[in-house]
Amino acid sequence: MSSPLLALSQLTKSFGGARALRGVNFDLQAGEVHALLGENGAGKSTLIKIVTGAHQPDGGTITVAGQIVAGLTPAAAHALGIACIYQQPALFPDLTVAENIALRLEAGSALRRVDWPARRARAHDLLARIGASIAPTAEVRTLSMPEQQLVEIACALGAGARIVIMDEPTASLTHQEQHLLYAVVRDLRAHGVGVIYISHRLEEIFMLADRVTVLRDGQSVGTHPVDTLTEAALIRLMVGREMTQIYPPAESVPGDTLLTVCDVGCAASGVHHVSFDVRAGEIFGLGGLVGAGRTELARVLFGLTPADSGEITLAGRRLSLGSPQEAIAHGLAYVPEDRRRHGVVLDLPIAHNVTMAIHRPLFPTTWLRFGAERSLALEFIRDLAVKCAGPAAPVGSLSGGNQQKVALARWLATKPRLLILDEPTQGVDVGAKGEIHRLIRRLAKEGLAVILISSDLPEVLGMSDRIGVMAGGTLTAILPGHSDAHTVMAAALGTPEKGAA
Amino acid sequence: MNTAKRDWQALLTRHEMLLLYVLIAEWLFFYFAGTTTNRRGVVVGFGTLDRQFDILRHSCEIGLLALALTPVIITAGIDLSVGSLLGLCAILFGQLWHDGGLPIPVAAGLTLALGALAGGLNAALITALRLPPLIVTLGTYSLFRGLAEAITHGSITYTDFPETFLFVGQERWLGLPTQAWIFFVVALAVWLLVHRTTFGRTFRTIGLAPEGARYAGLPVARRLALVYVLAGLIAAIAAIIYTARLGQAKADAGTGYELFAITAVVLGGISIFGGTGSVHGTLLGVAAIAVLKNGLACLPVVMGMNAAEEMSGLLTGALLLLALTASVLPKILSHVRSRPHAPAP
Repeated sequence: MSSPLLALSQLTKSFGGARALRGVNFDLQAGEVHALLGENGAGKSTLIKIVTGAHQPDGGTITVAGQIVAGLTPAAAHALGIACIYQQPALFPDLTVAENIALRLEAGSALRRVDWPARRARAHDLLARIGASIAPTAEVRTLSMPEQQLVEIACALGAGARIVIMDEPTASLTHQEQHLLYAVVRDLRAHGVGVIYISHRLEEIFMLADRVTVLRDGQSVGTHPVDTLTEAALIRLMVGREMTQIYPPAESVPGDTLLTVCDVGCAASGVHHVSFDVRAGEIFGLGGLVGAGRTELARVLFGLTPADSGEITLAGRRLSLGSPQEAIAHGLAYVPEDRRRHGVVLDLPIAHNVTMAIHRPLFPTTWLRFGAERSLALEFIRDLAVKCAGPAAPVGSLSGGNQQKVALARWLATKPRLLILDEPTQGVDVGAKGEIHRLIRRLAKEGLAVILISSDLPEVLGMSDRIGVMAGGTLTAILPGHSDAHTVMAAALGTPEKGAA
Repeated sequence: MNTAKRDWQALLTRHEMLLLYVLIAEWLFFYFAGTTTNRRGVVVGFGTLDRQFDILRHSCEIGLLALALTPVIITAGIDLSVGSLLGLCAILFGQLWHDGGLPIPVAAGLTLALGALAGGLNAALITALRLPPLIVTLGTYSLFRGLAEAITHGSITYTDFPETFLFVGQERWLGLPTQAWIFFVVALAVWLLVHRTTFGRTFRTIGLAPEGARYAGLPVARRLALVYVLAGLIAAIAAIIYTARLGQAKADAGTGYELFAITAVVLGGISIFGGTGSVHGTLLGVAAIAVLKNGLACLPVVMGMNAAEEMSGLLTGALLLLALTASVLPKILSHVRSRPHAPAP
């Protein structure tokens, strides 16, 4: 083996008392896709931040192309050809694609004359190299998330990146967009670029990666060629225990019909003619491509964008849901998709987040009762196994999976009858994902009706009693829970096969 | 992330402590530098009880406006109109009593209602039309002052208030200036509202994450409306105290007070971006500015520095910038220290 493109040896890093990395070894060859795996909090982000120069390691060495590098700064990392593509592209939305690329790549005085044709030609060339058909003159705000990611990759290529880090690049992409990205990754590899690929989607790892390194509790627990591993073995490496079944089996028998949605529409959010029902104790999966209108439908049901046509009936009573307060009063709960903006308030303590939707019942006189609040929060921390310093810890200090548990706790505290979960396991590590799945099952068993929105097809298939599939703002099919992926995907793509409607 | 957040919390508690040290240092400085004995052997200057009461008396109105602004700024809003509203309410109060012939308590009650109504105008524009608070209150800032001047044609001043009313602004009750008691009651009420009720919790949540608050089913528009109505009500209380202290109601009452009040709130550690801060911080901020202003006024007596009072603006600004710098300095220092030394070239 030639000298690796990047080698990390015995890296350590602590934040305050917390040891984020405790001796990590990692190496990346040219022309290799090396997957980096680990539960949230295993040290992946810290490792990336050290490689990109954002953090300095406490100990250990970084070797780039045979040269030991000390005191790596972001600028130095850039000069060494290290680029990072984040899940959320960091582009300027009001500037054009060409301008964004130029900002990263063009050097020279601020007062120089701009050669617009050359700037556009360069953007065009770079985008063509990765097979993207994006106009250099388009404003970034008009681009979809994956298109923005492609622009980021074009920037990395233009900067002559030899080491490209991709941090969950497919988390918010649709199926087709994912495949476009895979092609780009393979192309980078063919051109001798080393790719560090981080993802929670195991099937991607098996499809793309050459080798896998698993981090656990700040240590590397092993580097293996992908073809020597099975999915179960990989999960075992990550969580340190064997998970026999990824999805817990259904235990509940759905009861009476709880929610009936009849021909509901909301012009403002593009939802129209949606009809379905959900029974108590049932998990009703809602599948479809990103942009099919699933989140929009959830927002209609929760009163955030009230319906302007159709009927919503809950346990025989017709509801008019004009605001979230009314929806909550009727026993509806909605755990939103964007956890960090809508699901929790990162700067507030866990306890405040947990009681946020139950101010009136918990504090009937409007005076805060800190003791009651604290013990309720402690109850949920114990019940949902939230890893935290205590109920006073800000939610922002928790890992993604634990933040999601707090978001869930807020709604479980309202003792809802219907729980709408929007992408409840997105950006959540494998261990917490399993815990959330078991929790959903348990809630259904206790008689809660659950609407589960997920872009993770295996999750919808594995968890749902019935599956509604949305496309173009309406429900196109209702399929039994044991449907195969092909049938669901076909319905989502707008070529519905006959389902039990 | 984890440690940064904890640092921020530690910082906040530290900020209020820091402000307390500054206040004590200020007070001690003026006590020793601003007190003297005149030729007839009478102690004059900062160290006298009269002067201390004077400071309290003069801080009440700006202090009330700072209290009015505290919930507003916690929701990440701003109300620039409170100073102008003070002027408008003073005029309305004078007019209701003098021209309307109403007894003082009735006129005062009506003035409070009108103040709340004016706050309601801000609230309606901000919550129903979703206009930015800065723009709305910039508009009402001019509007309220303009109304006051239109009512008085810029010349009428209401005076000759009855002694019983002037007692509120010029006398003492139970050993303290009378208006100080009103100020303390309002301060306690605002403190309880912000720190001990679901209202305050909601203000904070709105300041940190307005969309997140809506998703949690919190009544965002109603709570936002409340803080602006409350600001109007407290501005009206300040107007009545102002009138009682000076014994006259003029259209230019309280000009520029809103900026002093905002300074006190920010000095007290409330982030202008919302979500953080405390009422006791605001009170310390008010006290630090009041002691500085009044202390400087005592200095000429001792050192013959006639320009000292004019320096109060300069020193207030310097104090604000220093306090803000001092509160972020530990964070920056720890950041610098955590970096290893750059390798030798």
